[in-house]
Amino acid sequence: MTQTNADQPIHYQAQKSECEIFEAAANNKLPVLLKGPTGCGKTRFVEYMAQQLNRPLFTVACHDDLSATDLVGRHLIGASGTHWQDGPLTRAVREGGICYLDEVVEARKDTTVVIHPLTDHRRVLPIDRTGEQIQAHEDFMLVVSYNPGYQNLIKGLKPSTRQRFIALEFDYPLAKLETQVICQETGLDKQRAEQLVLLGQDIRRLKDHDLEEGASTRLLIYAAKLMQTTLTTTQACMASLAQPLSDDHDTIKAIERLINAHF
Amino acid sequence: MEEFIGEVWHKYISSKVATGFPEAGVELATFQSQLSTYFHCLGGAPGKVVEAAEPRILGNHRPLLQRIAGSHRRAALCWQDQRSLRLPPVIDYLPEKEQNEALYFWLAALGAKLPTMKHWFVENQLATLAILTSHPGLKTGYQMLAKAVVAQRPLIEHLPQKLQAREQAIQRAILKPGSVKSLPLAIGEPLFVPLWLYPAPLYDVGAGNVEDSDEQGASSEKNKTESLNSPRKSAQYFDDEKQTDGLLVFKLEALFSWAEQVDMDRSQQEDLDQDLQGAADDLDVITLSRKRKAGSAKVKFDMDLPAPFNDDLYLGPGIKLPEWNYKKRAMLKDFCFVQPMLSDEAVPSKLPENLKEQANCLKRQFNLLRPLSVLQRRQPFGDEIDLDAWLDIKTQPNVMIDGENLYLAKKKNARDMSTLVLADLSMSTDSGVTTEQRVVDVIRDSLLLFSEALSACDDPFAIYGFSSIKNKQIRFQLLKNFSEIYSDHTRGRILAIEPGFYTRMGAAIRQSVSVLKMQNSNQKLLLIISDGKPNDIDHYEGRYGIEDTRQAILEAKRQGIQPFCITIDAQANDYLPYLFGDQGFTLVRDIQQLPKMLPKLYLNLSQSI
Repeated sequence: MTQTNADQPIHYQAQKSECEIFEAAANNKLPVLLKGPTGCGKTRFVEYMAQQLNRPLFTVACHDDLSATDLVGRHLIGASGTHWQDGPLTRAVREGGICYLDEVVEARKDTTVVIHPLTDHRRVLPIDRTGEQIQAHEDFMLVVSYNPGYQNLIKGLKPSTRQRFIALEFDYPLAKLETQVICQETGLDKQRAEQLVLLGQDIRRLKDHDLEEGASTRLLIYAAKLMQTTLTTTQACMASLAQPLSDDHDTIKAIERLINAHF
Repeated sequence: MEEFIGEVWHKYISSKVATGFPEAGVELATFQSQLSTYFHCLGGAPGKVVEAAEPRILGNHRPLLQRIAGSHRRAALCWQDQRSLRLPPVIDYLPEKEQNEALYFWLAALGAKLPTMKHWFVENQLATLAILTSHPGLKTGYQMLAKAVVAQRPLIEHLPQKLQAREQAIQRAILKPGSVKSLPLAIGEPLFVPLWLYPAPLYDVGAGNVEDSDEQGASSEKNKTESLNSPRKSAQYFDDEKQTDGLLVFKLEALFSWAEQVDMDRSQQEDLDQDLQGAADDLDVITLSRKRKAGSAKVKFDMDLPAPFNDDLYLGPGIKLPEWNYKKRAMLKDFCFVQPMLSDEAVPSKLPENLKEQANCLKRQFNLLRPLSVLQRRQPFGDEIDLDAWLDIKTQPNVMIDGENLYLAKKKNARDMSTLVLADLSMSTDSGVTTEQRVVDVIRDSLLLFSEALSACDDPFAIYGFSSIKNKQIRFQLLKNFSEIYSDHTRGRILAIEPGFYTRMGAAIRQSVSVLKMQNSNQKLLLIISDGKPNDIDHYEGRYGIEDTRQAILEAKRQGIQPFCITIDAQANDYLPYLFGDQGFTLVRDIQQLPKMLPKLYLNLSQSI
């Protein structure tokens, strides 16, 4: 778990009206579901909104061994006997704040037990170990994210869970916005950033055919960062845009050709 | 002697006029998959593949020597249609290997930018400009290629006067794309530009009359300089219903050419004493006719069963199975005769090209499903201490906990499931989905993709097909059994499936159950792919068939087998819930989705059981 509310202002480039929707949801105490491909800015968006709304953010990266106990809390034994330790979700519920469950489909099924009563009109968190029933704080907000791409086949979010959220769909930003994002994040000159975005779009066309996922904005930013070092452009792009996306020799070769076609 | 001299002359003259650089040649096959990825990256339609183009007749001006040698009449140009981008099978046009390689990638890029064209001269230039703008990295490469290509073209002053203006325009257009707006008119076609795309070839029956008359002597010699082994031939049907339609009546001037009519009966293939393969290679268009030789009409004596020597291999003496008669409310003992069979003549083959992409994608996804070890909590034995369990015991002494299950154990969370796919191969699967695809073709593709997917995650599976003719013969076709490894042989058998007869489903299910029962896995899935109600030509129709099938399914369930039916019958909602239960079937409305759906469905099933 990480708790953030950094002092530095976080930069986020809005794609559509997601900021307004998020704010409206927060004001109405509604939970939010973010869906979108990897590296398109979901986490950054939540961090930005937490700062805008001035609420602490509790981020939990979900993994396949994450159980309800890890979210709610557990008893610990200290020098003075046993005591109860709140988990990230319980802290957010008690103190107020945004609890962000990243890649929620990865978590174990028993987490839904605690998510459900928090995401409807009740807004309560029952803790069976202590017998407590916590009414959520005014400022508490639950945000979950998931990637409906390839994982969809294996793990999906149950309709009964999905239906409890306001959902926002994210995608890679439009070329103009993406160029701005790259320039802002890395300080790369506009001309090269534009070319990099075009390259990214070319690679994204391979999604579902040769690649599971297209080149994310995050990878383009990595590429832009490497391009400003002593590496050549081809080296930078190969390391950040070709190798991470595929292990297939022919696909990598084709992407290399493509990189050379752009720069 | 004549022949010998002919050959020597041919060798001499063809070496005299040979162009290109065979030692720097690059083959399409080497780069095919890279080119296809590259083509898709740059915006080529996702479904399009990259294929070899067949040589086509060019009508350009040729120097005297080439005309004498009869060479350079044809070349493989780059073009595309809805199905694929066609690139030359070999490029040896430029002196350097790298240049020829770059030419391939350039053509793929151009193909992606220029999916359709109206005017090749203008549009090729515009598309070139567009690519160079969007992909500035290609600029230097293109300039290099353009110069090399122009260097291979005839010198303008060597050309006849009337062709010079046009050649000049083309060379300028290559070097400075976008600079020439229109092509000066001249006789014949201009020499092709290997950097450009061309429209799809147009063929008509009179394709032969583009030849000039002084070629006839030369073209009757066999031209061995062009090798045509791989590319597809264009084909067209020639209507020879009427006996008087002999081509010779109209085309006396073309008697010496192979291009018109070859006496080969495709349905009999008897008189093969002529070199028909060679002739086929020399043809630009293969014309097929539907007519058979007079008197070759066959009388089919047995309308139902194939003759034994044509039929598949019978496996064992056959199996007798009971059938449920709902009127008597009794099992008719040994009423059905199931004959397991194996199509032993099926040729082992690789996965068809058009399925490869989908198969690879599925394989990757199913690879992720290989059994992973998962930490199990609160185990009596294990590798690590389960602190949570220990804390619970210590902190909540009042709660009774059975035993001291204090360990974390790593267990393989394997899906222990065997699947038997039973495909309906009845006559109704012969009906068309589209003009080119029959139901059985879709079933075949689905079976192939399903097998590819399951073989990637190591789940045991078997595939059988069935069709029936009354209760006397229920043909139970073995496509893959559980112990067999999924191989080219299996694929060959699946590829060879054909629509059979009727659908006596009950017996087929009973037989599948007896096969599946022998598997040791915890879960057993019987997946039935069907296109309609159970029926046969005897009393096995309507309620009788449905009741028997239902009985067979109930028996299966009693033996711990989970039956599931995938159907494409739009009326299936009328009877399938009765047969399989509410959750026991799915209706695929768009049958073309079936190949994609089947593996997905398997996953859902494997998790829900």
